Amino acid sequence: MMAPFEFSALAGLGLAVLFGMVFGLSLERAGLGDPHKLTGVFYYQDFTVPKVMFTAIIVAGTGLYLLADLKLLDLTRVYFVPTFFWPQLVGGALFGVGFVVSGYCPGTAVAGLASGKLDALITMIGVGAGTLLFAMLFPALEGFYVSSDLGTATLQKLIGVNHWIVLIVLAAFAGGMFLFFSWYEKRATHSQS
Amino acid sequence: MSKPLTSAVEALLNKGGDMKNSRYWSPYAAGTLLGLTLLATFYVAGRGLGASGAFSLVTGVGLNAVTPDYASRLKYFSQYLGSPSPLMNWNLFLVIGVFLGALAGALSSRSFKVMFDKGASMSLGTRLATTFGGGVMIGFAARLARGCTSGVALTGGAQLALSGWIFVIAMFVAGFLVAAIFRRLWS
Repeated sequence: MMAPFEFSALAGLGLAVLFGMVFGLSLERAGLGDPHKLTGVFYYQDFTVPKVMFTAIIVAGTGLYLLADLKLLDLTRVYFVPTFFWPQLVGGALFGVGFVVSGYCPGTAVAGLASGKLDALITMIGVGAGTLLFAMLFPALEGFYVSSDLGTATLQKLIGVNHWIVLIVLAAFAGGMFLFFSWYEKRATHSQS
Repeated sequence: MSKPLTSAVEALLNKGGDMKNSRYWSPYAAGTLLGLTLLATFYVAGRGLGASGAFSLVTGVGLNAVTPDYASRLKYFSQYLGSPSPLMNWNLFLVIGVFLGALAGALSSRSFKVMFDKGASMSLGTRLATTFGGGVMIGFAARLARGCTSGVALTGGAQLALSGWIFVIAMFVAGFLVAAIFRRLWS
């Protein structure tokens, strides 16, 4: 049988808790339950967010396409995040503003609360309120919400190249960015002392 | 583990980390573990990670418990309210796991501390407003974008999905622009 697998509802929920636990552990141990570290990148002070995020994306992306090319994973049965160009551009931008203002995103607010931060709990209540606001305004927003539907568009389909070319370019970009962060951090340490 | 071995492992985990915060793992080590977790959900369950979906579910189910008439009139929540047991949901159990895993991390590293975090020069009232107001923006934006940093940026980003990269770029560009205004609050 080829991955992904089918399992009972209960086993699925058990797996979800297990995967969530490793997810939460990685976030907290990276320091991403702390709003100062989470927003540090936007003030050029702490680059933990892009370091963790781009490392995770390159690792998971390389693994995903490697397993698919080795015929160990059936990509047609993996849920791909669909693209709705304008709603995701506007949503992403508004999300970035909310992230800087609150100091958290939904997953890291949960990690923050788990490390004792009560302000993270207020953010979580706010996320619920924002969701409710969206649901209330949905009749007016629905036209925009379903607009610019590009389906399961991927970078390799869009550019018309092999997925390994995209992954190599992304890895090179991330590597260059990590080198820049390390150079910038050294320079900042020297100028302080 | 013997003491030299423990400190060697700690030094390795902290490589690339910021020296002032050595109580944390190296961001590259944590990112690798996070990436492997994401890969495992792709492989085992055929889906990625997500956090905001659980917030949406709990909001819909909670509203339905308080005012079922009004909740049933909101079309967006109908995706949850048709099910006989809507809380038996992958996204919700994933987020329960995130809480437990982060709690284990905070307790085991002795970094658990009950506090109300804010910028050094920020008043309590300002922090209450930013933490709630920012949360409202995040909650609204995540519904519009069909997910958040985990469901769209990380999952979509690793799939090389256009959605993930639109979200990542829009989030960072808008974040840098607004940070110029909020700098005085947080630094």
